Order: sequence, then structure tokens, then C-alpha cells
Amino acid sequence: MIDPINVQILAAILFGLGIAVVLTRRNIFFTLMGIELLLNAVNLSFVGFSRTFPADAGSITGIVAPLFVIAIAAAEACVGLAMVISLVRGRNTLDTDAYAGMRE
Amino acid sequence: MLTVYFWLFSLIAVLCGFSLLTARHPISAAVSLIGVMLAISGIYGLLDAPFLGIAQILVYAGAIMMLVVFVIMVLNSAKDRTTPRGSSYSWIGLPLGALMSIVIIAGVGRSAEALTADPDAVQGTAQNIGRSLFTFSGDAATGWYVLFEVVGLVLLAAMVGAVVLAKRSLSSIEADEPAEGAH
Repeated sequence: MIDPINVQILAAILFGLGIAVVLTRRNIFFTLMGIELLLNAVNLSFVGFSRTFPADAGSITGIVAPLFVIAIAAAEACVGLAMVISLVRGRNTLDTDAYAGMRE
Repeated sequence: MLTVYFWLFSLIAVLCGFSLLTARHPISAAVSLIGVMLAISGIYGLLDAPFLGIAQILVYAGAIMMLVVFVIMVLNSAKDRTTPRGSSYSWIGLPLGALMSIVIIAGVGRSAEALTADPDAVQGTAQNIGRSLFTFSGDAATGWYVLFEVVGLVLLAAMVGAVVLAKRSLSSIEADEPAEGAH
């Protein structure tokens, strides 16, 4: 039997890695992939916690919720990549600092 | 034996995560991320959630990462050598990520004794998940059915949004067609 605390530690490490990728890297694709890594870490945490409850306490929730997260991540990747395509076709660079003017 | 597989998958996931952080090209980063996702789906299998592991491989490692690699290749950015890894101020993200990990581990570690694996936990098989998703009444959570339909609407809206975004960028290329809106 796997110790649940180890699953949580692994999820926390992957979450920290995702945060580092999103905040550090300047390529647009790395930012998007960092977000996917964050979502994966949270899913792993959900499933790890679902193993610590008995079935009648609703531990199926910890397995159904990641399914919805996966569906929303698919929608997010779809729209995000379409935005990347339309951005890069206009400015022809992948550097996120080139799009800092979008806030004005 | 289960523990050995768990440590193996954990090692693969963390190493591929570091590879994602330090990769030079987006394609190698995408391959690293696929490695992370495959390792995590293996851990799902070890945690008695086989359906979720299969959905992870199908949707994440299959569909989403295929889309990402496809767009990277369409934009020809695998040859991009000009975008730096990070700027002098964006390296603050590394200690912030490490701090995030440490804070979460410390918070969860405070309740490490209460976190014990329950042998009565539900198996994440397709049967149990389907029963929980599609039953209106009974002891299953009834809110999932409505949520499931709403997720279908969200996916439809995302598809329409992606088509609209791609169409605008195409019509701005064709000069003979009057541009709709300011570009």
C-alpha cells in the first residue's frame, strides 16, 4: 500500500515545478505547458486524497473531479493555442515580453 | 512491490519536470511533459484509479500534447533560438516555486499521521465512475450529471472560440477580403 503522504509530497513538488516553469520561462509554449503541469499536480493530489476516505464518505469525488479538470484543461489548451497562433502571426515572436503592451 | 513502482514513477515524473524547466526547445519540453503525464497515469493505476489513468493517457498525453506539438510545428518555433530561457528578473520564479512546494509539504506534513490509506476506499473503475456520473438519485452525488452536461457546453464554446480566433488570423492574411474589426 502506498503511503498517501508520499503522493501529496510528489504532487507538491510537481506543483512547485509548474509554478517555476510558468513564472520563469519566457517562451509562450513553456508557459502553457507549465499550466498543464500545474493541473496534473492538482489532479494527482485529488486522487491521493481520495484513497484516504472510505467509499461511503464520498471518496469517488476525488476521482470524478480530476475528470472534469481534464475536460476543462482540454478546452483551455484549445483556446490558448488558438490565441497563441493569432498572436504569433501578428507579431512573429514567441517571447512573452513582446506582448507586454497588451495591458495598455 | 507497489512501493518500488511508485518510487520509479515518482523519479520519472520529477526528472521530466526538471527537464521541462530547463529545456531549450519547445519540442523537447513537450516530450518531457508527456513523460510526466505517463508517469502520473501509472501512479493513478497504482492508486486504484485505472479509468483516470487511461483518460489521462488518452486526453492529456494523446490529444492535448498532440495539439501542442502540432502548433509548435505549425509556428516553426522548434528552430527558435532567439527567445531566452528567462530574463534577469524572471528567475525569481525558481525560489517562488521552491517556496510553494515547501509550504505545501509543510502544511500537508502537519497532518501526516491522519493521512492513512483506507482499505475501504472506492475503486476508480469505469463502472463506479459512470454510476457516480449518470445516476440522478440514490446515494451517489447527484450534482455530477448537470456538471457533466455543462462541461459539454464549455467544450463546444471552446471549439467555437478557437475557430473564431483562427478565422480572424486567416482573414487578416487575405488582402482581398475586407478585414472585420481593427487589427
